[in-house]
Amino acid sequence: MRQSHTAVIERNTSWSGRIETEPYEAGWASEAMFFVRILEPRTGSAPVSLAVQISPDGIHWCNEGTVLPLDTAAALSWCRVSQFGTWLRLAGRLPRDMSLKVMVYIQLKA
Amino acid sequence: MLTHTTSDGYAPLPVTLFHDDFDQGLQGWTGLIGNYEDSLDSLLPEYRDLRPPMLSNSPAWDTGSSGSLHGTYAMKLATRPQAGSLAVGIKRLTYRQACPVQLETYFTFKPEANELRLGEMDTHSFGILFDLQNADRRVMPHLHYLNAVEGVHCGRWQFKRAPPQFHDIGHTGKTVSHFHLNTAGWEDLPDGRQLLCYNEIATKQNWHYLRVGLDLNSMRLTALQCNDRIFDVSGAEPMTMPAMANLWCMLNVAFWIRAGTPRRSFLLIDSVLLSADLD
Repeated sequence: MRQSHTAVIERNTSWSGRIETEPYEAGWASEAMFFVRILEPRTGSAPVSLAVQISPDGIHWCNEGTVLPLDTAAALSWCRVSQFGTWLRLAGRLPRDMSLKVMVYIQLKA
Repeated sequence: MLTHTTSDGYAPLPVTLFHDDFDQGLQGWTGLIGNYEDSLDSLLPEYRDLRPPMLSNSPAWDTGSSGSLHGTYAMKLATRPQAGSLAVGIKRLTYRQACPVQLETYFTFKPEANELRLGEMDTHSFGILFDLQNADRRVMPHLHYLNAVEGVHCGRWQFKRAPPQFHDIGHTGKTVSHFHLNTAGWEDLPDGRQLLCYNEIATKQNWHYLRVGLDLNSMRLTALQCNDRIFDVSGAEPMTMPAMANLWCMLNVAFWIRAGTPRRSFLLIDSVLLSADLD
C-alpha cells in the first residue's frame, strides 16, 4: 500500500505581507498537494499567487515553477507538485491592504 | 524484567505495545493541539502553533543525508526560528492493564545548520511526557533535558510536578484546557547533570539511547536512562489532577523540543518501542 500523509503546516495563522511557510521534508513522497483554506474574517480581495519552492537543504530556496493561485474570495485554493526532491514550502506576498487567516495543508503520497 | 533484546538494540519488557520505526511512516505520531470550542481562536495561546512532525532523512547542506540510526527516515520535530517555539509529536493509545511499562528510543537534537557556527546553546530543551488516567486521577509525568537558557549551558534532566492551571474554554462549560509545557515549575533530578554528545559542528549529529520506566499502578516514573547514565526518579512526582471525563485508561506519549534562540531546533527520533510487563 502506498504511504500517504497530511500535515497541517499553518493553523489559524494570520498572513499579511511576505509569506513563507515553514520548511517541510517530504523526500519519501513522489507527489504533493498544497491546500490553503481561508478562514474568516478576511481583509481585501485580489488575485494572489503563491510559489511552490524547493530546496536542497531546507535553507536555500528557489521556485519550483508551480504556482498556487490563491482565490481570496473562495474558501479553498490548491496546487499539486511532483518530482520535488526533499523540501517543500510556499512563498509569496499579499497586497498591502490584505490580511488573511489561513489553514495550510500539505498532502503527500509515496 | 528484561527478557530479550531486539535487532535495533532495545531491551524491552516481555510484551511490545508498539515498536515504531519511522522507515514505515509516522505510525500514528501526530501533532498536538489544545482543546477548543467553536473556533480555533478559543485555543490557549501556547497551543496555537505547536509544530507538527515530519519524516526526515537528515539532510545536511555540507554532507547530504545522514539518514536515521536504523535506516533512512526518522521522525523530525522542527520548531519555528523563534525563541520559545515548540514542536511536539504525540501518539495516543489506551492501556489494557495497569502494569509496568517501558519506553525506549534513539534520539538526536540539533539547531538548524543555517549559520556556520556550532549553535550548541540554541536549543532550550527537549523532553518526553506521558499523559495517563485511571479511575481516580489524571497523571502527567514530564521529563526534559534542559540544554541551555539564554546562551548559558545547563545540561541537566528535570521533572515537573507543579499542577497546571486549568482554563475554561468556550461557553458550554464542558471544555477546559491547561498548558503543561511551559518553562515554569521544572525541578532538577538528583545528580541530573549529563553532558550529551553534541559533536563539533552543526551538521554532525550522534544518536543517543533513552529509556523511561513507568508503573501504571502507581502512575509513577520508575526509571530514566540516557546513554550510560541511570538517574534516580524516585522523587520525581508527576503532575496529578482529578480524573477528567472521557479519558479513561488513557496512555499518551509525546516528545517535544523548544527553541532557545531565533533559530530552528530539531529533535529526531529514530524509532520508539513501548513495552509492558503484563501479568
